[in-house]
Amino acid sequence: MLDRVISRESLLRLVDDLARSRQIVGPVRRGDHYFYERVSEASSLDLGFSYCVYGPKSVLLPPREVLFRFNRADGSFETQNVLDEAPTALIGVHPCDLNAIRLLDRVFSRTHVDPQYQRRRANTLLVGIDCPRPCTPGVFCADMKANEAGEGFDLLCFPLQDGAADDKLMYGVVFGTPAGRALVLEAQVGDRPLAAHERALERYRAAKQRAFPRRIPYDVDTLPKLLERSYDSLLWEATARRCYSCGSCNLSCPSCYCFNMVDEVDLSSRQGERFREWDGCQLRVFAEVAGGHNFRPQAASRLRHRIYRKAKWIREREGLPGCVGCARCDRACTAHINSVEIYRQLAEEG
Amino acid sequence: MPSLEVSDLRRGRDLYRPEPAEVVAVQKLTAQENLYTLRFPDGGPLGHEPGQFVQVSILGVGECPISVCSSPTRPDVFQLCVRRVGDVTDHIHRLRPGDTVGIRGPLGHGFEVRELHGRDLLIVAGGLGLAPVRSLIQYVLDERQRFGAFHLLYGARAPQEMLFSNDLLLWRQNPDVHFLASVDRPDEQWRGRTGVVTTLFRELPELDPASTTVVIVGPPVMFKFVVLEVLARGIPQKNVLCSLERRMKCGVGKCGHCQANHIYVCVEGPVFHYGELKALREAIL
Repeated sequence: MLDRVISRESLLRLVDDLARSRQIVGPVRRGDHYFYERVSEASSLDLGFSYCVYGPKSVLLPPREVLFRFNRADGSFETQNVLDEAPTALIGVHPCDLNAIRLLDRVFSRTHVDPQYQRRRANTLLVGIDCPRPCTPGVFCADMKANEAGEGFDLLCFPLQDGAADDKLMYGVVFGTPAGRALVLEAQVGDRPLAAHERALERYRAAKQRAFPRRIPYDVDTLPKLLERSYDSLLWEATARRCYSCGSCNLSCPSCYCFNMVDEVDLSSRQGERFREWDGCQLRVFAEVAGGHNFRPQAASRLRHRIYRKAKWIREREGLPGCVGCARCDRACTAHINSVEIYRQLAEEG
Repeated sequence: MPSLEVSDLRRGRDLYRPEPAEVVAVQKLTAQENLYTLRFPDGGPLGHEPGQFVQVSILGVGECPISVCSSPTRPDVFQLCVRRVGDVTDHIHRLRPGDTVGIRGPLGHGFEVRELHGRDLLIVAGGLGLAPVRSLIQYVLDERQRFGAFHLLYGARAPQEMLFSNDLLLWRQNPDVHFLASVDRPDEQWRGRTGVVTTLFRELPELDPASTTVVIVGPPVMFKFVVLEVLARGIPQKNVLCSLERRMKCGVGKCGHCQANHIYVCVEGPVFHYGELKALREAIL
C-alpha cells in the first residue's frame, strides 16, 4: 500500500526544503562512480544512481570518527565526549543498504549502546529509493532477500515508471516512521495515491520479480546449516591462495562494522583525541594479541571467518542477513575472489 | 531506532570515555610484572565480579585489557597485575604513585560467584593466569564459610617468574586453602615441587565429582592437559570453568577483534564453561 505519490520534481523540492534544517547527504556522480556526499541543493543529487562505492556506512559510521578529546597536560586527565549532533537527511538509499543499516542499528544498540552511532542515527532521516532492477551485474541481493526493504527507512520511494524521463517520473512513497509521514504531509507535497497507482505498484513489483536473477542455487536461510559442515573444507585455502589480505572487501562492505581505536596527540603533546577507524578481519594483524600471538594467522582462516560471520554467525545472533548481496566486496577484490562463487561451491560440500 | 538505553558500565559515563583513577601503590612482582593498586577519586568501588576485566587507558597511547586481580570484597581500592608486553603496558610500567590512569569497566562476564557458593573448588592457575584468578581466590578466602573444600594449584615456568610471592607465603600457611605450587625449571634456591602444573594433581585428595567446580586459567597450551586430569577424576564438563585471552579493543562486543568463532570473548567471556569452549574451534589452541 502506498501512502503518497510524489513527482520527481516535488521530491527534489522536498529535499531542498529539508536542506534548510538539515545537512543533505546523497548520491553524487564522480566520474563513473557514485559516492554519498554532502550537497547544498537537491539538484546535485543523482537519484537514478546505480550504487555508491562505500554505501551509507560511510555516513553513519564514518571511516574515522572522534570518540572523545583529552587533555593530559601536566599529568591531568580530562576527557570530553564527542557526539555528532548535526541533523542529517540521507537521501537515496537502496534496499540492500537499508538492510545493512538495520544490522548496524541492531549491533550498535545491543548490550552496550554506542553513543556516537546512536546519536548520529537518531539525527538522521532516511529516504530510501527502491530498485526496479539490479543496479549492476554481479549483485545477488535477491538471493540474500535484501533487494526489498520492509522497514528501517523514514520514506521509501518506488520509481513507478521505470525508465521514464526525469520530468515524467512519479514515485510511489511509503511512510516508514511517523517522522517520515510528518515530513511529507506537513510539506503538503504529492497526492493521495489512486487505485491506478496501486496497480502501477503491482506491475512494478511483478516486473521487479522477473528482473532480479537468482545466482545462488539454494535458499540462503539454509546457509547457517550448510556452513556447519564446511569448517574444514579445502575451499577456504583454495580460495585464499589468491587473497592479498588487503581488506578491500571489509572496507567496501555496507554491513562490516569492525573498528580499531587509536590515540593521536597534537604537536604540543598535551591535547589529543581517541578516534575509531574502520578495521578489517582480513588484515593480517586483526586478531593479533600483545606479545605477538595471532589467532588467525592464515589468509584461509580469515576468509572463512568473514564468510562465517556474513552467512552464519550474524544471521544466527541478530536474526538479520550479515551479507546483503550488493557484491561490493567482489568488485573491490584485487584478486577477483568472488563471494557468489564461494556460496555456490558451498552447495557442493555435501 | 531502539530507544536510548543507559549504558550498563557500572563505572564510566560514556561507553568509550575512561574514568580517571589514581595510582595508590606500585609493587614490582617480577622482572616483567608490576602490581598496581588503584582508587577512584570518589572512593567508590569498581563494582566488579571476580574474573571481569577493565580497559586501562594511557591518554595519547591507547588502551589495553587487564583482568582485575583483587576481590570486590576489598572494595576501597582495586588491583591490576600488568605484564610489560606492548606500547600501553610499557607506559603503565612508568607510572608512579599519585599518577592517573583511565579505567573503563568492569567489562565482560566473570565467575558468577553466587553460582559457586556452597561448592568445593579446585583452582588451577598457570603463569600469568594467577592474576585474573587471584580475584576469585581472595573472594573465597574472604567469604570462606560460603565454600566447601578449596584446593589451589599454581604452576610457573621458573621461581623468579612466580607472581604474588607475598600471597603465596600466606596461602601456604593458611588452613583455609590447600595450596600447592610447582615450577618447570627450578633454580638452586628452589625447595618446592618441580614439574608442570598437572603433576600436582597426584597430591590432591579425592574430589567429589558432584560438588566440585574446577577453574582453569593459564596459557592455551595448559588447558588441554589440565582438562584431561580433571575429566579423569570424573568431574563433569559442566563444572569446569576457563578464562580466555584475546585482543580486545572496544570491550563491549562491537569492534570484532576478540571474536573466537561466533563468540565475543569481551562480552560472553572471558570466563566460559568448558562445554561452551569445546565447540569453539578457535578457542583453545
